[in-house]
Order: sequence, then structure tokens, then C-alpha cells
Amino acid sequence: MSLGALGDAGVRELLDPAAPVRSHYEELAGNLLGIEGTGIVVVTSPDPGAGRTSVCLGLGAAVAGMGRRAAVVDCNLENSQLHRMIGEPNFVGLTSGLEHSKTLEHHGYEVLPGLLVVPTGPVLSDPASILENEGVPKALRHLQASRDLVLLDAPVAWGVLRSPNLSGSFDGVLLVVHASRTPKVAAREAADDLLAAGVNLLGVVLNGCT
Amino acid sequence: MTSSSGRPWRGGARDDTSLSEILYVLGSRRLLVVGAVLILAGIALLFGLFREPVYVAEARVSVEPRGKLDSEEARLAFLEEVRGSVVTQKMLDEVRRKAGWESTPEEFSERLDPETFAGRNGGSGLLIRFAGDEPGQASRVANAYAQAFVAGVDDLGDRPVADGVPVAEASVEQRAVPGGYRPRPLIYAAIAAGAGLLLGGAVALVLEGRASGWRGVRDAELTLKVSVLGSIPDYSPERTEG
Repeated sequence: MSLGALGDAGVRELLDPAAPVRSHYEELAGNLLGIEGTGIVVVTSPDPGAGRTSVCLGLGAAVAGMGRRAAVVDCNLENSQLHRMIGEPNFVGLTSGLEHSKTLEHHGYEVLPGLLVVPTGPVLSDPASILENEGVPKALRHLQASRDLVLLDAPVAWGVLRSPNLSGSFDGVLLVVHASRTPKVAAREAADDLLAAGVNLLGVVLNGCT
Repeated sequence: MTSSSGRPWRGGARDDTSLSEILYVLGSRRLLVVGAVLILAGIALLFGLFREPVYVAEARVSVEPRGKLDSEEARLAFLEEVRGSVVTQKMLDEVRRKAGWESTPEEFSERLDPETFAGRNGGSGLLIRFAGDEPGQASRVANAYAQAFVAGVDDLGDRPVADGVPVAEASVEQRAVPGGYRPRPLIYAAIAAGAGLLLGGAVALVLEGRASGWRGVRDAELTLKVSVLGSIPDYSPERTEG
């Protein structure tokens, strides 16, 4: 898939190596990859609207641009956004990969060389029960075997805390806060709750800075 | 710009507010803090400059007991007894009359400040301060009070005052001279500046606690006590869903 095939200008900018925003994602990628043992990272936020999906795509693109291999998997089964952002249908993805017991490599879209985007896939039953499927960590670990970094575009923080798989099965959590949309109180509570639950909170991404 | 540590801000100090956080908040809202300091200090300065001047005069009366009182506390207690015996309404009326006091007795009492003293090396007595509208008025009242007090002590004669000890001698040790004006505007301004700093700082901290916007990486780190791994500029506001 070429950048020109992506219909959305915002997404093209996220994936464009020459875009001004790229250097910021490269710095974020460098900091994240510098933390030991961060193969699968859950990306969440205190509230909706902080830009988790954008951060996942921009970060994945920056990692791919550094010559590494990354994947972004949409785990936001109740409100999937990733397929819309890349302009693809949601016919294949995480759920179809689980259903067919195939590697997720074959259930996503290689939007850039080195960047695989895996949508949720069709969600026909209870999203929470799908996420708690024991096959989820297994499928994602399998995907990680061929990727330097797997980013999980996850629900908001309370959804992550509600999900034992998301809060405890992977290598850490990245908290996205938006500079003008995320209330400080909500962000502080989310960070406190994640740490209190024993989550490995890797750090924060401050999105939408002016 | 992102955190240099690259690791979460762990440890047991998440609920503590450090000095650096307070300084950061005060620094980021420095206009508010400096404004509060300048406004309060300015008001106090003007108040100090334009208020009616006060002239203070001071007279000193020496009072010695006939017997020996060893401790400082005992001598102070003796002096209080003497003062209680000598200072009467009649004496105060006499002082006001002699000093030519024309205002009310209540204002006279407010401006009068007699204080007993007992030095470690034996000297003891009464220090009389009076704050007048004019230098001459202040010294007239202080001296009239001192003389009336000495006369009252003389009238006590050999009568025992405290613990059976009579007064041996009372004299005006130092007469009051026309007092100098004590300008206080700078002191008022300094006190008001301190109050302004506290007030402005408190308001800044309250506003910070209620703020919804984030000023930058440092703000995020201090608020969340978690390292900021990256900051992304607002390149395309409409595409930050999720």
C-alpha cells in the first residue's frame, strides 16, 4: 500500500517520513525501544479523544522508518478506529486471526514497509469475552516473534484495568494524554489506578502540544 | 522535549508535593504571584506614607525596693504591685491635665504604654512610652506620667507593697525628649509583600489543581509523576480520535 492510497491527509502525515511530526515520533520510538523488554505495548488513555490510534500509527511508522518492524493491533473492539484511519474494511483482523488460528501477519495490512496494521476484524459476540480469550496473548506473542514492537491500540484506561489480558499479559502500558482535551484530574487518576493495579506503566505521551 | 530518565516515576512519593513542584507552579503563574505581591506591597506603602505620623517619646523611672529581692521575677512582681498601688484614675486625670491632653481618656489610654523592667544587674523600674500627634505632646505626657508616678511612690512611704517589702526610692531616671517620627511604610510594604507572596502562591496552587490544560512535558511529569516518553505536536486536530 502506498501513502497516496491512504485517503486521509492526517494519516498520510503520520506515515510520511518527511512530515514535520515524524521527528517527534522518532524520539518517542527511541525512548520506548530504549526500555528493555518492551515487545508488546498496550497504548491507552484516561479518556476517549486523546489520540491513541494516531499515536499508535505514528509511532509504528517511526519504528518502521528506523528500519525495524512494527505492528499496530486494534484491541478497541467496542469502538474500532484503526481500519477507518487507514481506509480499509474491517473484514480481517484480530478476531478473524483468532478464529482461524492463523498468525496475525496474514490478517492485517502492511501500510508501510515494516509496519503491519491489524484491525479488530468482525466483532460478532461480546467484545470483552473476545479480549479475554486465552488465544489473544498467544496470537500477539506469535506476532511479536516477527516484529520488534507490537502496539496494541487499547480501550481507555478503565477498560484496560477491566481486562486481565491487557493489564497483565503484555510488557507494559503507554498512557496517552491530550494537551487540551484530557483533564489533569482524569489523567492523574488513570496513572494512579494503573500503578495501583500493578501495571507496568512505561510512560506518558503528551499528544496535541502547541 | 521528553523525560531524560525514560522510566516511570516510581516510588512511594506519588502523593507528596515537592518543593520543585511548588516552585514550578509558582514560576508558571508568576504574573499572578508577582501581581499579588506588587498590589499588596503598593497598598501598604501608600498606607504607610499617607497615614498620620506618630511621634513616640519615652521616659524612664527607677524604682528600688528597700529589701533585697533576689530574682528578676520577684522584682517584676514587686514593680507590678507598686504600679497597681500608685496608678489610679485620679493620677491619670492629673497626668492628662498637666500634659494638656484634650482628646478622650480612651484615646489617651490607647497611646500610653507603660512597661515594668528589671535588669539582671539590679536596675528596675518603669518605662513610659507615649505616642503623640506632635513631638512635644508625646514628651509632655510621658514626663507628666513619670513625675506623677514618682510622687505616687513617695506617697506610699514605708507602707509595705509586696511580700512586706516597702519601696526605698523612686526617681525619674530619664526624662522624655520630644520624640522622633518613626516612618514605617517600608516595613508595612515588606510585610504586605510577604502576605502577597503567600496569597498569590495559594491562589496559583488552587488554580493549578483545577486546570485542565497541559503546559508541556514538565507539567505532565509533575502532575502524573510518570516519565513523559514523547510529546507530539498538534499537527492535525481532527485526526486524534480514539
